[in-house]
Amino acid sequence: MNTMTDLTHLLAQTGFPDSMGSATLAHYLFVSAAMFAIGLIGFVSRRNLIIMFLCTELMFQAAGIALIAFGRFHLDFTGQTFVIFVLTVAAAEAAMALALVVLLFRRKESLDAGEWAELKG
Amino acid sequence: MEQFIHPLVLYTACILGAAGICLALPRRAGGPQLIGAFIAAAAGGIAILAMSLKAGPAALPSIYFYIFAAVALGGALRVITHPRPVYAALYFILTIIATAGLFLILSAEFMAFALIIVYAGAILITYLFVIMLAMQAPAEGEVEVLTEYDTKAREPLAATVAGFLLLAVLTTMMFRGTAEIAPVATAAQVDSLLDDLPRKVERVLENHNMLEEGEKLALAAPDGGPAIDGAAGIIWVEGGAEPRIIERADWPEEMSVKNIEGLGFNLLRDHPGTIEIAGVILLMAMLGAVVLSRKQVQMDEEAKMRQARLLSGDTSGEAGA
Repeated sequence: MNTMTDLTHLLAQTGFPDSMGSATLAHYLFVSAAMFAIGLIGFVSRRNLIIMFLCTELMFQAAGIALIAFGRFHLDFTGQTFVIFVLTVAAAEAAMALALVVLLFRRKESLDAGEWAELKG
Repeated sequence: MEQFIHPLVLYTACILGAAGICLALPRRAGGPQLIGAFIAAAAGGIAILAMSLKAGPAALPSIYFYIFAAVALGGALRVITHPRPVYAALYFILTIIATAGLFLILSAEFMAFALIIVYAGAILITYLFVIMLAMQAPAEGEVEVLTEYDTKAREPLAATVAGFLLLAVLTTMMFRGTAEIAPVATAAQVDSLLDDLPRKVERVLENHNMLEEGEKLALAAPDGGPAIDGAAGIIWVEGGAEPRIIERADWPEEMSVKNIEGLGFNLLRDHPGTIEIAGVILLMAMLGAVVLSRKQVQMDEEAKMRQARLLSGDTSGEAGA
């Protein structure tokens, strides 16, 4: 029991019910924004369909970090509840996206997004 | 107005990071990928360290924050720069695990473990399956070659410029607003969840020997109010010589509301019905995936008849023919 609480203290920002400062919040928001930007760059620049969808998952992660950091800052659990739904949507999106990728791969035998350029009309 | 980071430092770091990622993106000629990755990492490090120096030692996040943030961002960089999809997916798992570490520091234990189980355990395995299904195996005796679309990024310059413009705008606006917001709840308000957890309160008091012989948690305060008032920090116990108050200062540490309790109340009491909606979303996604990935089999009339007979277990038709 004691080692457990020691570990929690070591890991936790401060003891849980105390709120953290806005400077700490800014650190987390920066990480979240940077991860979102990396995901966006990957989505735009990579040509492999599967990597493109991995990059959308990266952007979901970034949103999750921001939500949980704000929830911790306001001592409100709604941020975490919201992340559960982000997870749900990410899972649903992965299922649909991968089914589509398999379908597209069967048609052209290639994962190149450029193969489907005719779709832009 | 208070700023978390000097705008010049922020924009320099953004430009540096953009140059680094632009170099690190895969291209045909090989190119200075490693140098680019180093430049991008240095830019991220400069931005975070500048922010920490400005915040001063009192407001710093714990040391684990820096470790997990570095691993998460480095993994993310590798996801978009690695030419082999399988490695990209594995680096994404690394990012997930580091993010789960960040969630742990933020006292969101349930979400941290749910993230590892759902993402790293389920979603990423599906990704790996599809990647391996969709890769052409090299012929016997040949060395595997990377496909052209994996080794050459599309418009790396335009993509990084767009991404880092977004990052600069996002961080500028966020840092402008964040300094002025104040937390809406205090620790006392989190403790008000204890009002609905009388069994837990009684169990904790018993475990810590804070109840004297014959005492138990009161059903109500002597003035008719609730026996537990978490926000005010009061617990009434009765059954001894006289009803008495146990104040917040005497509460054992175990009494504090745990992450899982708060999350459970928030999910099922404050937002009932959302779980159902999530279930419907997942069901629809499952149906959609089944319909989309179904393989259409072309059969002529005779083959269909044979299949139908086979399924119905009727062999008389064949005997007649």
